Amino acid sequence: MNAEMKFLVVDDFATIRRIVKGVLNELGYSNVTEADDGSTALPLLRDGDFDFLITDWNMPGMPGLDLLKAVRANAKLAKLPVLMLTAEAKRDQIVEAAQAGVNGYVIKPFTAETLKEKLDKILGPGK
Amino acid sequence: MSSFNLLKLEYSSCVEALTDALRMEDEKAFFAAVDHIVHMREPGMFGELRKLTGDLQKALERFSIESKLADIAENEIPDARARLNHVISMTDEAAHRTLDLVEQSGPLAERTSKAAGNLIDMLNAYRAQSTGVQGFEGVARSIDAYVPVVRAIETFLPAARADSELIRRNLADVLLAQGYQDLTGQIIRSVMKLVEELEASLTELSRLSGDVVEHASMGENSGHGPAVPGVTKGEIASGQTDVDALLSGLGM
Repeated sequence: MNAEMKFLVVDDFATIRRIVKGVLNELGYSNVTEADDGSTALPLLRDGDFDFLITDWNMPGMPGLDLLKAVRANAKLAKLPVLMLTAEAKRDQIVEAAQAGVNGYVIKPFTAETLKEKLDKILGPGK
Repeated sequence: MSSFNLLKLEYSSCVEALTDALRMEDEKAFFAAVDHIVHMREPGMFGELRKLTGDLQKALERFSIESKLADIAENEIPDARARLNHVISMTDEAAHRTLDLVEQSGPLAERTSKAAGNLIDMLNAYRAQSTGVQGFEGVARSIDAYVPVVRAIETFLPAARADSELIRRNLADVLLAQGYQDLTGQIIRSVMKLVEELEASLTELSRLSGDVVEHASMGENSGHGPAVPGVTKGEIASGQTDVDALLSGLGM
């Protein structure tokens, strides 16, 4: 794994951002930035050099699915790994997110193991 | 036949009787003819009156529901909003308090575990060194070697006691921090009661107006929030395993 990887965690609830940040720190990733919805995350992504995006779906302002679509539509960000971490559990929503190009989908409430497993899967072995 | 012709047919004999009575100045016949006409008009009149009373009653009911709704909209909804905001801040506070305590306790437990590990290593090394020691010199060397082990134990024990005590206190505080559930539960229940009242009033209002209440639809991509068993419509993934199966079915 590359401990220098830059993560952006997007969720409207500070506690969830803190929990995800805590899990990432546990896993050895200390470079974590937070945003509270899609519209604050997108400029950070455009101007920054993030390696991984973890986003919620249901947020006031710009929801996670729109953020995902905006990321995939942006030439610079199109290949950015995106993990959706959300309470949205409807099957057609999961399919919709997959079609929009999500790399992983974790439903809340989640465990640190599940998050780690999905990160490892997306980043591939040895990253 | 036109409706006026019907009226003519119905009333002409009564009117004739009335004019005859007037012409002949027959008071008794006059009142009998008037009574007959009134009697003929009664069913229609009472029907109209009944309808008017019904309308009035409906209007009054509607007025009472509308003032109830106005009260709910003006006072109870903002109040419920404030109460739900309070729920959010209480859960937020409890979650942060719990996270703080867990973050404080982790390093303490780690420190104790590391120090205990070091002590075990020291004891094992000492045991290996002192096995098969013979003679006075050997025993003296063995005692000398034991001194740092004792010192390490002396340092470890009070530190372990202090750290464990702190962890125990933090755990007790984590327990206390969960007290929000009772309070938020009560608030949520009271808001549910208000929603029930609102629903009843709106249903009654739509029944009186004969309108169909349409559900407002949400924004296209805004999401629905956590799936609530028995409330959320459509197929719901039952857990992470289900999500994984669905995604692997899609080739992910």
